[in-house]
Amino acid sequence: MNPAVPTWAGVATSLALVALAMAIARRQRLHLAREITIAAARAGAQLTAVGAILLLVFTHAGPAGAAGWLTLMVLIAGQVAARRARGLPRALPVATGAVAAGTAATVGTLLALGVISPQPRVVIPVGGMVVSGAMTAAAVTLTRLREEAAAGRPAIEARLSLGLPATQAFRPHLHAALRTALIPSIDSTKTVGLISLPGAMTGLILAGVSPLTAIRYQIVVMYMLVAAAALAALTAARLAERALFDDAHRLRPQDGTR
Amino acid sequence: MTGDVAPLFTLDQVTVRRGGTLLLDQVTCHFPAGACTALTGPSGAGKTTLLRLLNRLEEPDDGRVRLHGAPLASLDVLALRRRVALVAQTPVLLTGEILDELRAGRPDLDRDQAARLLEQVSLPAAMLTRSTAGLSGGEAQRLCLARALAARPQVLLLDEPTSALDAGSTRAVEQVAGSFLAVGGSVVLVSHDAAQTSRIAGHVLVLHSGQLTAGPARQIANHKEYP
Repeated sequence: MNPAVPTWAGVATSLALVALAMAIARRQRLHLAREITIAAARAGAQLTAVGAILLLVFTHAGPAGAAGWLTLMVLIAGQVAARRARGLPRALPVATGAVAAGTAATVGTLLALGVISPQPRVVIPVGGMVVSGAMTAAAVTLTRLREEAAAGRPAIEARLSLGLPATQAFRPHLHAALRTALIPSIDSTKTVGLISLPGAMTGLILAGVSPLTAIRYQIVVMYMLVAAAALAALTAARLAERALFDDAHRLRPQDGTR
Repeated sequence: MTGDVAPLFTLDQVTVRRGGTLLLDQVTCHFPAGACTALTGPSGAGKTTLLRLLNRLEEPDDGRVRLHGAPLASLDVLALRRRVALVAQTPVLLTGEILDELRAGRPDLDRDQAARLLEQVSLPAAMLTRSTAGLSGGEAQRLCLARALAARPQVLLLDEPTSALDAGSTRAVEQVAGSFLAVGGSVVLVSHDAAQTSRIAGHVLVLHSGQLTAGPARQIANHKEYP
């Protein structure tokens, strides 16, 4: 066992910190003591359950189990991103498709090129980071697209009225949404290591891996996150555009009745 | 309708619903070619919806719209919109420079053609290289009209084009409509302004709560009750 990893006794001891947070909440009469208890209990239970399931998957399921796990994550992430895009036609399939495309292309490329190993203990955490990045990018893209389609309706319809096809009439709005969705991931790629020590690298260092080895992983992670965000945002935008317009190059009514 | 010209647009039992609201209720009418038809009636009567059906920015839930006898849905919609140009009530400018604005729907427009379009809407040709940012409402609306004319449409759909304009701009817009008619074009005009409809429209359709209350052959004089 790695001496840097806390024992179960250590975990129990760290509950003292939760007690400290509760004491502050009580003293300040924040009425949050109950919430903190529930949050702490949930964190413990959820992570224990995930740890146990991951152990099972790592030891028994093989690559098929990893693929199944990733699929489940993509479906959940699609739901979360679609909730942000409520009001957009066909939000759920659009968001799920975007997350799936971003994940499949990125993880698939890394596997095909042999950059990462197909073992579940590698594919699942790496895939998790990709799904999460793709989900954020898809959610921001769809939220912005919905706003653009509503606020930009007069301009979009003015372009349609000049005989421009839907893709051209919507292009400036689509570009604005894509830029908004991609800037956070570009910025975090620029500043990684300077402002934040990212998760994968921190984890490896905690597990006793040399920092020079840990950064190799992190560099791959940063590159794949930019790719996943770009692919998910672009797929979300293209699919949403098809849902926003009909075959007659008409911007569908906002209430989504037709 | 005089009967000797095929109708430009024919609406046959056209119904449009949005959510639970009936915007147009089984409207049957026609618009003659080579003339100006005014659509009038109180606010919320469905005038704009009817106008937007004519270039397929709206689709009927029931019924059919025809252009020269052909169902609109059977025509190429992008070609239809270049043939049937719509100018919205509020001018929306799409680019930063006036020349680019005129080229928005017709990228191959040369400078001479663009200058002539500006003159057509009584804007100085010297404005061509100016920014669209400092234009007044009247200038912006006239620029939108010129932008629509750039594609050489056969029909102009004007949605209350002068409701927010000063007298000079209003006159300029009406002159454009007049000369467009004089060269064989057709105009459909949504207007609240009875004096304006009597100046330029040969036919009037009156809408009330999504229903037609008067046929196209009636003259303006019968509809003084809608100012």
